[in-house]
Amino acid sequence: MNRPVPPGDGLVDDPVALFSERAEQVGISVITVGTYDEAVERAVALCRERRVQRAALWDTPEMAPIRDRLRAEGVEILDPRGSFETLAGAEIGITGAEWGVAETGSLVLSAGPGKPQAASLLAPLHIAVLRSDRIVPGLATLLERCGPLPSALVLITGPSRSADIGLVPVLGAHGPTAVAVLLVAGLFLGDSG
Amino acid sequence: MPDHPTRIDLIRNIERALRDESLQRQMGKAMPASRRARADAVAELPEWESLRSAAAGIKDHVLADLEKYLRQLESQISALGGTVHWAFDAAEARAIITDLARSRGVRRIVKSKSMTTEEIFLNPALEAAGARVVETDLGEYVVQLAGERPSHLIAPVVHKPTEEIADLFVKKLGVPRYERPEELARVAREVLRAEFLAAEMGITGVNFAIAESGTLVIVENEGNARLTTARPRIHVAVMGVEKVLPQLADLSVFLRILARSGTGQRASVYVSLLTGPRRAGETDGPEELHLIILDNGRRRLLADPDLRGALRCIRCGACQNECPVYQHAGGHAYGSVYAGPIGAVLTPAYEGLERARDLPFVSTLCRACADVCPVKIDLPGMLVELRARAVRTGLASWRDRMLVGAWTFFTRSPARFMLAGSLGRLAQRLVARGGKIERLPYPLSGWTAHRTAPVLASTPFRTWWKSRQGEGR
Repeated sequence: MNRPVPPGDGLVDDPVALFSERAEQVGISVITVGTYDEAVERAVALCRERRVQRAALWDTPEMAPIRDRLRAEGVEILDPRGSFETLAGAEIGITGAEWGVAETGSLVLSAGPGKPQAASLLAPLHIAVLRSDRIVPGLATLLERCGPLPSALVLITGPSRSADIGLVPVLGAHGPTAVAVLLVAGLFLGDSG
Repeated sequence: MPDHPTRIDLIRNIERALRDESLQRQMGKAMPASRRARADAVAELPEWESLRSAAAGIKDHVLADLEKYLRQLESQISALGGTVHWAFDAAEARAIITDLARSRGVRRIVKSKSMTTEEIFLNPALEAAGARVVETDLGEYVVQLAGERPSHLIAPVVHKPTEEIADLFVKKLGVPRYERPEELARVAREVLRAEFLAAEMGITGVNFAIAESGTLVIVENEGNARLTTARPRIHVAVMGVEKVLPQLADLSVFLRILARSGTGQRASVYVSLLTGPRRAGETDGPEELHLIILDNGRRRLLADPDLRGALRCIRCGACQNECPVYQHAGGHAYGSVYAGPIGAVLTPAYEGLERARDLPFVSTLCRACADVCPVKIDLPGMLVELRARAVRTGLASWRDRMLVGAWTFFTRSPARFMLAGSLGRLAQRLVARGGKIERLPYPLSGWTAHRTAPVLASTPFRTWWKSRQGEGR
């Protein structure tokens, strides 16, 4: 018996627009910015608004400017290679997102050294920085492109939720109560195609 | 014939459920809402039917070559540094997991929702081995505090009103009485967050396992499965043999149908693709990964050509939400781990038709379950097959056999059918009042126990039709 070929994704005219629409529908705030520098500014502004004192950030080159700016503002940056217990003290988690999925409005994060799952899971607010050219039309395309797989690849489609008690949806059941994406919509010269 | 000593008395359970007003209120709210959510999510996808066919086709392909894919999964997971254990039945699975806990000195265990671990009665065994086991899915946590079992595949505590949960938290957690769901959820979050941080072992189920990459896929909304797999030093995943998929590419089909069928979401909030234990330089994820591959009656079901299709099931719960019997009976009435139409097939298959003899009979065969099943399991066909087996093996009740025998006799030929009508018209003179029959004598009394039957027309339709031939053309 030959393996049946699974159907691919349907045609999506404008994956970025669809992603934004559907991410908002599941409760992810989409903040579109023109450049990466602007994303840094917005992340810092969000922390300031919320009077954040402790933040958990991925230890990646992409996060370095945000980390430095937050430190300059007096925010304590928790050691991204520290223990789960340490990171559990964060009021905000800031990470990258490798992919976005238009059909479902999902963020896709991969784990790795300096990229703990704890950063997207433990704080009440999670912010991810996503490049618009990393948005794929659907899950089939994502799974075609996302290999080889890291120890954990996690699709995040909204804040943590549960409707177990009284059928009433509650946010922040175990993970973040709020999720936002800083969607960098600029042109990415030098690495297209 | 004497009843099996532990036979599930579904009829009595349902009668009790129907008198339970709070259960009826809960189900009356939850089931229509779930059906609407599913219908809307499905209507959005023009390719829904082709996704269902693809999903059914992939599952059948896997089931036809199950050993190959399981071996491939095993070798991939081993290559990644994980350990695969094979469990023939519930007792073996329990022994493997309790040995793991004991040999590693594990005292505290967190679990995320898993029907497979319900199936093997894992928690009491671990507790007997001296470990503290805490369910961390909000609904499962409530079920555990109440000392009950989940009543729905994906909404384990759908049977319980909020006020009862509020009382339970006061009694078991010693907290003030909170009445709003968000307050209760916050209390649970705080208690459970501490459990996560202290746990040495995390136990989960598996929604899908990818043979080519050794990836375990876990689907959830709360984030408790992520915490269960990211924090404790040891991750034990328990999966039925039927959960394996050949390639990563197959997964998109199943993710698309599972969330839409279960909760009406386009995607569940968290889908974790876990490929091996923690790697060099990483600070979370388990240091030790163990996968338990459980048979527990599944290969026997695989060898049964009429019922094999039930192994396609991805545990979405859509058949339960849609079933007119389940909606009123609730999950506990079915007396086992799996309830509703899929339970009425799996329980006889796994636990024996003798114990579960009533389950296949308590269905209207309306086919609503088959219409919504995302992997196209022919549930009504399987229920009919199980009924036939119950009759053939003498397990059906005397009354059912007599009624079916009489039906078979009278519907064999038009003459016998006419005879039945004539006899019925004679007999109803004894029981009809004012054109209605309110009470029939045994063995037909069940028919009028909850409804009034109309009388048979004085002239049969066939006679009336003949008399009209040639008129009005």
